[in-house]
Order: sequence, then C-alpha cells, then structure tokens
Amino acid sequence: MQAKKMSESEKKELKRIVEKNYGTKIDFLHFNCYINKRNEIYLVSKLVDERLVEIASYSGLYFGKLKRNEKIQLSVEGSQMVGKKATKNIAIVDDENVSRFMEGLECKWIELLNCELNNFVLIKNGNDFFGTGILREDKIESLVPKARRIMRSIRKV
Amino acid sequence: MKIEFPSGFRKKFKEILGDEFQLLESCLYKKPKECIRVNTIKITKEELRERLENKGWKLEEVPWYENAFFVETEESVAKTKEFFLGYYYIQDAASLVPVLVLDPKPGEIILDACASPGSKTTFIVELMKNEGLIIANDISPKRVKALSFNLQKIGATNAIVTMMDARKIKKLEMRFDKILLDVPCSSSGTFISSFSVLEFWSQHVVERLSNLQKQLLKAAVEVLKEDGILVYSTCSLDPEENEENMEYAIKKLGLKPETIEVKGLKYRRGLESYGKKIFENAKHAIRFFPFDNQTEGFFVCKLRK
Repeated sequence: MQAKKMSESEKKELKRIVEKNYGTKIDFLHFNCYINKRNEIYLVSKLVDERLVEIASYSGLYFGKLKRNEKIQLSVEGSQMVGKKATKNIAIVDDENVSRFMEGLECKWIELLNCELNNFVLIKNGNDFFGTGILREDKIESLVPKARRIMRSIRKV
Repeated sequence: MKIEFPSGFRKKFKEILGDEFQLLESCLYKKPKECIRVNTIKITKEELRERLENKGWKLEEVPWYENAFFVETEESVAKTKEFFLGYYYIQDAASLVPVLVLDPKPGEIILDACASPGSKTTFIVELMKNEGLIIANDISPKRVKALSFNLQKIGATNAIVTMMDARKIKKLEMRFDKILLDVPCSSSGTFISSFSVLEFWSQHVVERLSNLQKQLLKAAVEVLKEDGILVYSTCSLDPEENEENMEYAIKKLGLKPETIEVKGLKYRRGLESYGKKIFENAKHAIRFFPFDNQTEGFFVCKLRK
C-alpha cells in the first residue's frame, strides 16, 4: 500500500482536526495511522509490521479523508468510531431518509446538532452512524461509495 | 424443470454414496438455509437478535456456532440497515466450519492463503478480536477488492491484504502460527447454492485442481512454524481434492493429523478408500454433504507441523 506512516505530531494534528469537526477526541493509541497521496487515512494495529504495510495491497481500516480547510470526511467505520461521543456536525435522520442516504441519494434531516453549513456531517439514525454527508442549505448530499450503496428498488429516472 | 447431475458426476457419487446418493439428488431441488454471522466486533448477538426479531425475522441459532443464525424473513438480508452498517455478514453456514477448526486466538499470526471474498477471513478477525495479525492473500485484483471491502465493513484493523500466487507465499519472509488453506476447488459441494458449478465439473478438472492444491499445500507448509496448525479445506466433494491431498500432506510433507470434532454439526469421517486408493488418515478428517445439514458440502482436516 503506497502510504506513509504518520508521525506522532501528525497523529496529534489528526486528533485535533477530528475534535474541531466532531467535538470529540479520538484515541489512536492502539493504531499506527497511514496516509496516502489522496489524503486517505488508514488505521493499522500497532502489532502489524511497517514492512508488511508497504508490500500489502490493502492494510487496516479506512478511517477517512482529510480535506481542505481542516475538514475530514469519515468512512462508515470512521463515523462509527467517532460518532458515539461526537457533539458537533451531527444530522439526525429518520428511517426513510437514512434509506435514501444508503442508496447514495440526497436526504433531509429531522434535527441538526451544532452543524456547520457545507461541512461534513455524521448521519445518525437511532443510535447508529452511517457515515458522513455534506450539509447544504436544504439537503444532505450522500457520500456513500457506490460499492457500499444499498438499492431498495428500481427507481424511475 | 428436471435437473440432473452430469453423467460422470452421477456415476462417481453413486459409487461413493451408495444408497445415500438419492439424498444427494434430492438437494438438486433445495436451497441452503440462509445464514448470517453476527459481527461481534461491532454489535453483540443479543442486540442484533433483538433488532432483527423486532422486524419480524425468525432466527434460529446455528447448532455449531452460537453467533450465527439461520434466518427466515420476507426482507432481503442484503438490503437492511444492519447489513449496511456491517452488523452481520451473510455466508453459508458450512463455511464457518474450517475457521472453527482453525480456532484462531487473539495475538496469533495467521495466514489465510486463498482468502477472497473473505467469509472466513472476516470470521478469523472476529475470533482474534482484532488482535494479532492476519495476512489475507488472494491472487486476482478483482477478488482482492472484494476481500478488502468485506474486511473494511467488519471493521478489521489487524488485517493485511496481499495479492500473490499463494505458491510463492514464502516471498513474504514470514512464519505463521496457523494457516487456513481453503484452496481453489471444483466447488462440487456448492451445487445446492448454484447448480452452474457442475457445468464446469469434470474428472479432468478435478485432477488438475488436485495437483494445484498439492502445490499450495507444499508452499503453505514451508511458511508454517514448527508445531503450527494448518487447516486444509475445500467445498468439493471429490476425494482427489480432499482425502488424497490430506494423505499427501502427511506422507510427503510430514504433517501430523489431528482429529476434528465439531459439536452440533452432522458430519462423517473422511473416506477410507476410493477406487484403488486407501486413505489411512481420513478418519481424522470430516466431510459433510449438502443433505447432512442443508448447507453446502465441505471437507476439512487439521494438520500439525
């Protein structure tokens, strides 16, 4: 995997960005963090030899992607790690809208908790976290990758 | 519509099964029971059970593994919130067995040499509680993609995916505590899920695969630690891919057989002979047919270096 192991100071910076966006500190204590050229961050157990990460096609867990202006888009798993203690940028959505989100379609919210317009928001339904979308004025854009989408039915175009 | 086994397959398994052959034939018109495995990295069995039962699903615990269920539901099991979230993994209940026999423990160094699409790899990660290291290898880019996707979805942080011919696995310069060698095979035991596998079945294909499997065994033994465990499995019903290769691993590669017991699973011991071939060690292995548990058929043996 063509990725660089993040230094302790880079990890600290990552923690700060997560806290700035989602209002919670995340503990990367048991992981080495790797970042690739696309700014995608992977968490790999500290027990895994660095040499192996270099030769691997894929390593560890995709946590999220750093964006401009100190923003971070989280994967479904990243949102599940961060979500439970998050206090900012959380959009609560109902069942119908979470289904739309899982299909990769834009959705509406029931409630927004400390959200910033045009930033990434955690999608919460019940106690579950489904990844991140982008909050626009009247909708949330789904960022669910194609491979992960769940299609309920064939829709008319 | 009438479905029939290819004539060579029919002749071979009539000889192997005798009167039980009609039970095998009856599976042509059955489907395996739908099974899900709880992803215990993300959710407890009790929480998932409650959520699914509240939606009207009927769940029956798989007798040979407490954290998996046979399910009956009107809903598509692959289109739920819980599936999207990675709270469960859909797999045939038979494919739980090789991993249960491997018995992975947190902190071990394990190789899954032919890992894609990852049903067994993800189960190994769960049993290791995400601690230790698993190298999940496969040969093709497309299959590696599927494997990586499934590892991500269950939340694996201790897995490394490599893409190479497993016959060259020593290039990794590593030694393993345990190896799962679930080899590419004729898949004849999976006809209950997909009859089309038998369109490609022939004695020639079985023999060609049997040779490849021996090469994979040889390569795996080279990277297994002394006293390490190798579990060899196939979803084939053919003795050339199973008992014959087990004998090869014992007699030519020096491995020692260990007797397998799997509580709750209906199985039989390996075949003691087939044609002129005698399989002295098959009594340590297990094989089960689709009619034994209404799952795919499998052969599994456990060998120590």
